[in-house]
Amino acid sequence: MAMQMYMVAFNGDYSQDISRDIQHHLRKCNGFTLMVMKTGIIAAFDDGMVPVIQSHPGVKLVGGVTLSPQGYAADRLQRIFAENLAKQLEVKAAE
Amino acid sequence: MPNVGAELASVPFGKMIYDMASAIARSQVALDKASIQLVKVLANTTFDYVPDVVETLLPNPRQVKGAGGAPIMDSGGNPVMVTGVLVQTDVGDSFPLTLLQAGVNPTFYAFTNSTIEVKMSITSTQESSNTFSAGVSVTASADFLFCSGSVSSHVNFSSANKFSYSVTGSSSMSTTLAPVPPPKNMMPRFFLVNAIDPTKVTVSQS
Repeated sequence: MAMQMYMVAFNGDYSQDISRDIQHHLRKCNGFTLMVMKTGIIAAFDDGMVPVIQSHPGVKLVGGVTLSPQGYAADRLQRIFAENLAKQLEVKAAE
Repeated sequence: MPNVGAELASVPFGKMIYDMASAIARSQVALDKASIQLVKVLANTTFDYVPDVVETLLPNPRQVKGAGGAPIMDSGGNPVMVTGVLVQTDVGDSFPLTLLQAGVNPTFYAFTNSTIEVKMSITSTQESSNTFSAGVSVTASADFLFCSGSVSSHVNFSSANKFSYSVTGSSSMSTTLAPVPPPKNMMPRFFLVNAIDPTKVTVSQS
């Protein structure tokens, strides 16, 4: 089991409600939303959760993605992903 | 006696290999199709990309004010100034960029290693036991004109043979799925034409 980056493509046209619902679904599966676009969500979650995410009626396709450093905006995307991830991580106090 | 060679020969290795290879080939096609579909999604997903933001620091001298807003003067009667700074921001025009151009690549997977393991255990036991017993009894009697005698004997023989033969087998198949770089033929090529110097064209591919 390993956390990987995936593109979760929406089924049909963009709808804010569906997008939000899928983000909640991701969160329930211990996943993290890295970036939201009109065609889908770039998310990070455990690879064992792929069938569960795929089963959502609003999801058309789930596919693994990687960030190529040669891309025009790779460094900026990486920063956006890191910022969004940091907002979702729960910091637990040391016991 | 058990024939180990015959038992091993009866294992359908050929069919097992064919079935496994066939399943891997079908899975590979399905995985490639999903990745190609993902390439289309990434190529059609655009976002507004701001290429640059220029921040210019400009001098912004201002006079230091004292209590009540009155300007502070030095001993020579000149106003005391601080340099100050003004940040002028110039945001470049945004343009649509696809996720593929931005650097998000689909992951392709390939089956790298497949193993078929067959374990077979052949057990054969044979037990045989024989018991043999024999006895002879002789009786004789004699009288004045008469004598008699008898001889009797017995032989007991028993034989028991036990034979057991068992063959147990198990097989396991395992395969490794690993992410691989996108195949060249499945990824689009990017042509970067420099409009300032059109002779400079850069071709790149993920």
